Amino acid sequence: MSEMTTERQPARRLPKFLHGVDPAVATAFACILLLLAFGSFYSTSFLSPEYLLQQLKVASFLGVIATGMMLVILLGQIDLSVPWSVAVGGMMACAAAAFGPAGEVLAIPFGIACGMAIGLVNGIGVAYLRIPSMIITLATNAVAQGLMVVYTGGFSPQDSATAAMRWLATGSLLPGVPNAVVIWAIIGAVAVFLLTRTTFGRSVYGIGNRERAAYLSGVDTRRIVMVAFIISGALSAFGGVLLAGYASKAAQSMGDTYLLPAIAAVVLGGTSILGGRGSYLGTVAGVILITLLQSILSVMQMPEAGRQIIYGVVIVAMLLLYGRTPPVR
Amino acid sequence: MEGISKRYGGVRALEKAELVVEAGRIHAILGENGAGKSTLIKVMAGVVSPDEGRMLLDGKEVRFAAPADARAAGIACIFQELSLVPDLSVADNIAIADPPRRFGLIDRRAQRLLAEEALARAGAGDIHPRALVRDLPLSRRQMVEIAKALASRPRILILDEATSALTAADVAKVFAVLKRLRAEGLALLYISHRMHEIAELADECTVFRNGRNVESYKAGTRTDAEVVQMMIGREYSNVFPPKPQRSDDAAPPMLECRELGWGGRLRDINFSVRAGEVVGLGGLDGQGQRDLLLALFGVLRGTTGEVLVDGRPATIASPAQARSAKVGMALIPEDRKTEGLMLPMTVRENLSFAVLDRVSMAGIIDREAEERLIDEMVQLLAIKTAGIDVPVGALSGGNQQKVVIAKWLMRKPRIILLNDPTRGIDVGTKQEIYQLLRRLADAGAAILFYSTDYDELIGCCDRVLVLYDGRIVRELEGSGITEHALISSALNVEAETRGAAA
Repeated sequence: MSEMTTERQPARRLPKFLHGVDPAVATAFACILLLLAFGSFYSTSFLSPEYLLQQLKVASFLGVIATGMMLVILLGQIDLSVPWSVAVGGMMACAAAAFGPAGEVLAIPFGIACGMAIGLVNGIGVAYLRIPSMIITLATNAVAQGLMVVYTGGFSPQDSATAAMRWLATGSLLPGVPNAVVIWAIIGAVAVFLLTRTTFGRSVYGIGNRERAAYLSGVDTRRIVMVAFIISGALSAFGGVLLAGYASKAAQSMGDTYLLPAIAAVVLGGTSILGGRGSYLGTVAGVILITLLQSILSVMQMPEAGRQIIYGVVIVAMLLLYGRTPPVR
Repeated sequence: MEGISKRYGGVRALEKAELVVEAGRIHAILGENGAGKSTLIKVMAGVVSPDEGRMLLDGKEVRFAAPADARAAGIACIFQELSLVPDLSVADNIAIADPPRRFGLIDRRAQRLLAEEALARAGAGDIHPRALVRDLPLSRRQMVEIAKALASRPRILILDEATSALTAADVAKVFAVLKRLRAEGLALLYISHRMHEIAELADECTVFRNGRNVESYKAGTRTDAEVVQMMIGREYSNVFPPKPQRSDDAAPPMLECRELGWGGRLRDINFSVRAGEVVGLGGLDGQGQRDLLLALFGVLRGTTGEVLVDGRPATIASPAQARSAKVGMALIPEDRKTEGLMLPMTVRENLSFAVLDRVSMAGIIDREAEERLIDEMVQLLAIKTAGIDVPVGALSGGNQQKVVIAKWLMRKPRIILLNDPTRGIDVGTKQEIYQLLRRLADAGAAILFYSTDYDELIGCCDRVLVLYDGRIVRELEGSGITEHALISSALNVEAETRGAAA
């Protein structure tokens, strides 16, 4: 009986509609509202549907990349190869586009496949060779960078994105709703399904919590870890494909600004950086939060240096605020 | 020490324990596994703090918040497990807690002198202070450990099973050192399972049982048989289900091991378990029982020998293979908090974790099938929980253990390995587990059961294999499973006396 009462108490303190919602996720959404309110002091257009939709569109690129990152963080690992996985995805898709009509068709799958290859190397390194993920992903990132520099000769590639890539990133199938947002919604829905309804998702949470217990339960932990890294690589590359479509061409450093935001979005959304705990809804909140923060800082015409400082400080402050909820023991 | 108590969760590890240690004496502490010896020492060394009671040093009350406090007060400890850093030199290790410094930097010369002196005091002057610890054999490392303890110039020196890794020649050396230290006026506290060592060394002995000190006596005033009697006590607190009479059947044993070995830790393991049989693994803690269970379950790499399931050789290289339908093995691991459960995850997720492949289609979990199985198990084992969606960490220890067992029973295993499943849980749940084990065996499962509690082995098992130093030294059967037989074969007393006589 005593267990039951202690279990119910925290739920009672929250309003009814928040039952079952992770406090961290609730905080993230509260911060989004706060940022919007703050922004509206500067300009009333902050609350206009056009502005919000535009932000959502920008957020979807980060959202796609953060989805893969979340999977890896849930395992208690990290994927630092995001910057050049993004760049490889974009550049290889554009490169394939230069090879006639067949290249046009295969551009997107080829870009994603290149990202999966990077993920495969990461996954084999972490799962089978037991190399710490921080090291191996950093190394593959450097190798990917080197390969791309060799390929382009150090200059921005001249190939441009295919029409399909441009359409995915900037077009809108449904009137008023950018395709990028639709893509993020689809990927998000698949991720939620994967995490909550499949053996793969259950195993990911299990490994993140206690790899040893998961292994002793007879789960093939190494295969799960490898697959997670492959998915992360694929989604990073797909993010790169979308970004290349958005800008009509790939660029050398197009992925550099996505590593920290991707990690920050996942962690701000309440996913434990140590793995095993977190929901996709939180990651959605984290992605929107980060995007809004970047947008507001640029609207305020803060110089670049100041933006970087505030950006970093806000992330640290928010992590201190709720990123360290005590684990259940 | 007066009236020291320490609780771990709901379990009393120490209950109003008392101990008086005098300078210039060697005081031996005896007791079975889990009698509270180690906890007592941890309290003295400041590793854990007692829940009640007080410690007096020279008549003044002391409290240690951390091991460093105990060190400063002149208490040094040598634990069973080595505490040396393998990649540092001997001198670095000896001075690691408080290296001599000059201008804030480590004074390497002073450190080497200090180490040389400590090694000489420990009777190990032949060890070079600049040698790396990893290059030393195990017995030499133990000597370094002793030197390290002496380097802090302690007034009380505690040795917890410090000789278990030593060769006979080294033991003799250590004993000479200990006797010299006694002459220098140190108080020594000596813990060992080896009766003849205690007889040779100790001035006084104290026997512990169930967290209490039973009796203190002057060395040599009690016979070995009397001491064993004191260690066992006569308290039967557990109720066991009756054991059925077994009839010989011709079917091949469900699980059989032939010449199983693993490095130096397991050697020449031969045994078999039939369907419907509960076989116990006995012996002192850490004689290879855990390794044996892990080896069977496919966790350890590089095992030699053969494992047969249903009379046919089986290759089990991972837990995934061990749990496959062909083998049908389950392991209830030793530490439910790190090996059995994911504490922050829900009861549902934990229960179905090992059986996910059977309640899913193409990787998608069938929630209804999952829930049906879970409900069935929660009822079968009477798991008390506020619901299946609360974190399993919120349950009591006994109910957590039931979840670990239930999670494996969901696969309907034919061979069940249990690694000390009743440690740290209440008596009521223990009895439920005993009955469950017997029911499972009657239903045709083969059960291999390691326990550190002798009562359990006697009450539950049809046969008991006693391990010593990675080998099966004795097999007890039926009415031959007695506490006296268990303890004497666990201590390997007979073998040692035989060895001495020969």
